[in-house]
Amino acid sequence: MRRSRFLAASLSCLTAAIGSISAASAQPSAILDRALMWIQSTMVTYGPSAGAIETLSWIMFIGGTLIFLLVLGLTAFAMFARPERRRWMTNRTFIISLGIVFPVVTLTALLIYGLILNRTIVTGEPPALRIEVVGERWWWRVHYVDAEGEIRLVSANEIRIPTGRPIEFVLKTQDVIHSFWVPSLAGKLDMIPGDVNVTRFSADRPGIYRGQCAEYCGEQHALMAFYVVAMPQAEFDAWYAVEAGPALEPTIPFIARGRELFIENGCGACHTVRGTPADGVIGPDLTHIGSRLSIAAGTYPNNIGTLAGWISSAQHLKPDNLMPSFGNLQGEELRAIAAYLESLK
Amino acid sequence: MMQCRPQHAGKARTSRAEQARAALASALVSLLAACTGSEEPAQSSNDSFQSFDPQVQRIVGGDPAIGRAIAAAYECGVCHVIPGIRGAHGIVGPPLTDFARRQYIGGIVPNHPTVLVRWVKDAPSIAPNTGMPSFDMTEDEARHVAAYLYTLR
Amino acid sequence: MSDTTYEGGIADTRARQQDTPVHLPNSTPRPEGELERLKQVWRAPRGFHFLSAVNNNYVGVWYVGAALLFFVLAGALALIIRTQLAQPEFRLIGHDLYNQLFTMHGTIMMFLFAVPMVEAMGVYLLPNMQAARDLPFPRLSAYAFWAYFIGGTAFFTSLFFGLAPNGGWFMYPPLTSYKYSPGINADFWLLGIGFIEISAIAGAIEIIVGILKTRAPGQSLDKLPIYSWAMLIFALMIVFAFPAIITATLLLEIERAFHWPFFIAEQGGDPLLWQHLFWFFGHPEVYVIFLPAAGMVSMMVPTMAQTPLSGYRLVVLAIIATGFLSFGLWVHHMFTTGLPTLSLNFFSAASMAVAIPSGIQVFAWISTIASGKLQMRTPTYFLLGFLFIFVLGGLTGVMVAVVPFDWQAHDTYFVVAHFHYVLIGGMVFPIFAAFYYWAPTASSRPLSETLGKWVFWLMFIGVNVTFFTMHITGLMGMPRRTYTYIAEMGWGTLNMISTLGSYMIGLGVLIFLVDLAKNFRPFRGENAGNVWNAGTLEWLPSENYQTRSIPIITSREPIWDQPNLAEDVKAGRYFLPGAQTGGRETIITSPIDARPQYILQLPGPSWPTVLAALFTACFFLGLTIKLYIPALVCGILAIAFVIWWLWGSDPGPAVDPEIDVGGGLVLPTYMTGSMSHSWWAMIVLILVTGTVFACLIFSYFFLWTVNPDIWPRSGEALPWFGWPIGAALLYVASSALIWFAGRRLSHVPERSSWPTRIALILAVPLILGAVSLEVLGQLSTEVRPTDSGYGAVVYMLSSFQGFFVTVLSVMALYTVARSLTGRLNRVRRSTFDNTHLFWHYGVAQGLVALVVVHIFPRLLG
Repeated sequence: MRRSRFLAASLSCLTAAIGSISAASAQPSAILDRALMWIQSTMVTYGPSAGAIETLSWIMFIGGTLIFLLVLGLTAFAMFARPERRRWMTNRTFIISLGIVFPVVTLTALLIYGLILNRTIVTGEPPALRIEVVGERWWWRVHYVDAEGEIRLVSANEIRIPTGRPIEFVLKTQDVIHSFWVPSLAGKLDMIPGDVNVTRFSADRPGIYRGQCAEYCGEQHALMAFYVVAMPQAEFDAWYAVEAGPALEPTIPFIARGRELFIENGCGACHTVRGTPADGVIGPDLTHIGSRLSIAAGTYPNNIGTLAGWISSAQHLKPDNLMPSFGNLQGEELRAIAAYLESLK
Repeated sequence: MMQCRPQHAGKARTSRAEQARAALASALVSLLAACTGSEEPAQSSNDSFQSFDPQVQRIVGGDPAIGRAIAAAYECGVCHVIPGIRGAHGIVGPPLTDFARRQYIGGIVPNHPTVLVRWVKDAPSIAPNTGMPSFDMTEDEARHVAAYLYTLR
Repeated sequence: MSDTTYEGGIADTRARQQDTPVHLPNSTPRPEGELERLKQVWRAPRGFHFLSAVNNNYVGVWYVGAALLFFVLAGALALIIRTQLAQPEFRLIGHDLYNQLFTMHGTIMMFLFAVPMVEAMGVYLLPNMQAARDLPFPRLSAYAFWAYFIGGTAFFTSLFFGLAPNGGWFMYPPLTSYKYSPGINADFWLLGIGFIEISAIAGAIEIIVGILKTRAPGQSLDKLPIYSWAMLIFALMIVFAFPAIITATLLLEIERAFHWPFFIAEQGGDPLLWQHLFWFFGHPEVYVIFLPAAGMVSMMVPTMAQTPLSGYRLVVLAIIATGFLSFGLWVHHMFTTGLPTLSLNFFSAASMAVAIPSGIQVFAWISTIASGKLQMRTPTYFLLGFLFIFVLGGLTGVMVAVVPFDWQAHDTYFVVAHFHYVLIGGMVFPIFAAFYYWAPTASSRPLSETLGKWVFWLMFIGVNVTFFTMHITGLMGMPRRTYTYIAEMGWGTLNMISTLGSYMIGLGVLIFLVDLAKNFRPFRGENAGNVWNAGTLEWLPSENYQTRSIPIITSREPIWDQPNLAEDVKAGRYFLPGAQTGGRETIITSPIDARPQYILQLPGPSWPTVLAALFTACFFLGLTIKLYIPALVCGILAIAFVIWWLWGSDPGPAVDPEIDVGGGLVLPTYMTGSMSHSWWAMIVLILVTGTVFACLIFSYFFLWTVNPDIWPRSGEALPWFGWPIGAALLYVASSALIWFAGRRLSHVPERSSWPTRIALILAVPLILGAVSLEVLGQLSTEVRPTDSGYGAVVYMLSSFQGFFVTVLSVMALYTVARSLTGRLNRVRRSTFDNTHLFWHYGVAQGLVALVVVHIFPRLLG
């Protein structure tokens, strides 16, 4: 397990190193660490559910390789061995033993293992937290719900959880079929109109795990990602307390101006900022957007620049998404709104 | 590189006349840059750069490679077209192609290294009407980014 | 009949080597002019009329050519896709075009390349392998080809207008329904593919009847070439699987056009209904593609190893088992939809079980190689490449059959890698082997061995570079159907490698096209002959009329085992050495032991067939682009041409009602009843429509299990019981009239045929009345089809029955018209028999629908 994880980790690190910005050897800037937070691999796992599947994967990869080599070897033998040495391969017993008996035995063993694994993954201790995730085109609505199913906290595109305890995810969709998938923590489960699917999993240790929609859902299926941020229970509780509160009141005049512009420009028709008149429910809740890692559903890191760029050219950056580009704002106004959003920690 | 191109599909396609004008302008600019650039003395003894390139040397302590990574991490490309950075195809601000040969920054202030570093970090302090926000960025980061921008020519 | 000479035994081929018939049926020299007459009858039309040819040697080659064209086109789309993905955040094409491209790539590869290609090879090869002069319904295969070619081309051109479907090749609603796909892109898919599926079914009917009824005398089931076995199961699978997709496309198109909510959850529909119907088709589809290819491999491996196939019977069993099992594992495409664990486990086990028949075949091929001496020629390279790629794809297939693993791998590039291994390994490589292997039967020159090896190595390395890499890309978390990905994900290098590999495949295919252009010379009336020293009948000397005479065979590899066979066949010493009826003809044999039963008179070149296909395609195209008036005109023209085409069929006995085909074997030239080919075709057609109907009934019960609340609890929302009872009585009465008409036709031929005609005519209003009562009954309630899933499915059952009854009425009136023009009598009655069979079936179907719709909800109380 340890070794296999090492292999997989080195494999993905290797490719990540070639393909990404880690060319700069010593990190001279904190921002570069944040840019490297994209862990989304089935073979670099941080939760018991994904871990069990990772083990299964390695067993099957090794077994499959051996069987593959066996078939190749037999073919080569059938082609090149001296006729008298390959005579044993020419009768029915050969076909029956390798074509029927061998697969029946190995497949039965694999099936039983799969069933047992299936059971261990599916059942488990009662959940510490219940989170409802609703698939939208093309982002994720996140509701923290209590035992009665009442919504306690609304967020989007980012799910914070305490580590080490199973979390129940209640999966729904508002429009088309989506699929909820955080490879480093667990396998995927679809969000289907008219159905409610429930899954449970947990994260072993603090970290940021990327998830992505895994069922084709139209134009911007490619840019529909999210983060699961696992944190120690205490930190989580602190975060939850802040997050459950209303938006911070601006103290700086420029940011207050941003808030006014946010309301004036009708952003509240689609977005909610709790504690302000903005109470739209079409788009993501922005009450604490400043504390989120990303914007546009995991597409860009969240900073004042990307916020401003997104507001003014959302249709260019993620064409056909449901947010219009606001090209009508003066430069200063644009900065003010972006600064306001960034301030909503 | 394909990703350097401005927007492909859509309404903002430049007309043939505009393209011709742009080509002429960039030719003039490059002529000017060739004259001025070659006379500019090296301002730094940063030995991480073996080749003598006056435009790169204009930023003290700025490493273009790090600058490129930082610009990518901030996703400056959300607003700008920036050669050499993946996905940098923004249409909000001006494209940063040939930036080293630009005479003005944002059409407002002369393209001078010290101004550029300040602009990168806090553009509104120079141009209060700009849409480019001021960033929560260290001085060093701004230097690296500016150094990268001066490699674009 | 000279039974003793060619009666087949069950013993092993090798034991019967010497059992060649001693007395050949016909003596030589043959009469003057006999061969010239045969050539004259089978000559292809010249000039422009060439396009009206229906002979399998022409249609088969065109069909293969068209499928190859679509392979190249879809491959070109794949290269654009791969280029877009070569680098992260690359901006070669936008999301909209990308989504159209991947939808079209998958759709064209599956529906316009893979299925038509294997069907086309069947049309071309089967009569050759079974020493029949042609398939039993040459014009039906011509119709299937033209409909497919014209329709497929129109479908492809939608890309140039930006109207190509963009909902993915499996078109999941609600994304593809009117709310989220308001354009006509999805309609192109639904109508285009629905139509092409109909063409595939037409081809399947042809193939089933062809395999069962047109064989060389003596070619009993135990001597049937493995390829024929594979094609038989293949065609039966089409008959049972394709109706599901036809039903699904029908329902979705009606939902889009008329807003009947079959798949809309808020209104009591269910998007999962589509997934069940789609995958009930979609999984067998994979084996529909693989089985014929495996059949080809089982023909080629023995030739290349110069020894009979090891474990013939095991391989046949494996093919049949694959056919059965493949219908029991569609849910493995739905492991992530949140189904109950129990059903996941069942389908997981079934998915693994299907690996066993493939294992049997793989080891049978290896065993064959061990028995002989493998000749390393170009087909052999492709066969070994197939084994390599297919086994690897099969192993990853077992992996994704394990439910927890699938939860991770599903809809990632791992799955993309898996099914490309299976489909390219399992189908494309065998097809390329087949091109190189069988080209000498069609072309006067074989394909180039040198170029062939270039093609092989480029494709083999290219496929592995492209798709092996994708396994890793998928495990690293890249989902499929994404037009771009973020640079930081670290998938760039892997994607670049895949893209380079795909260019290699493209180059390989390009070289293959060069090889074809240089060396493939069909339609010249000559071929390169038995270049591989093969043992099966397609390697007999042949021309447009196939073999000069139709041999009696006593072995699975007759050319190897029956000395002098080729020469005797060519000299005309076997059956039917000329054109005895004066026109095209072939011998119809019994399905099990291939005893000659009668002479089938075959049609020659036919324009109505081509025009019928053209107008059918225009009808569907018109519907798609919402030009309803032209569509209607084309529809009427299509029906008119179909009737014109059919008018010439059912010719009755030839001038000589019985003909001596040689050796004292005298066969009738016309046959009705269960021995006739048309009876068999009608039975298969009934299976097809029955499966469509069963899918509708499944939809009814499926929607009930999902939303039992919207079903009417008791009588109030259901029509008054009188309506269905009236409908049932009218149904039964119409059936009785048809039965009476049949009795009159058989037993009192000398008296007037008017009672028969009147019974047929009277049956029409009765059956139309039955459907009308059913519809009126539904209209008398509050329920409307747009209200709910219940309303939609109930009205759908009535509408389907309405369509069916309209067809029956046209058939009845057509039969009356044949009677009025003297084309229907006691002997010449196939037309009536078909109407009769179909009518009773239609009535039974109507009664079942009544029981389901009216009695089932009342039972719920």
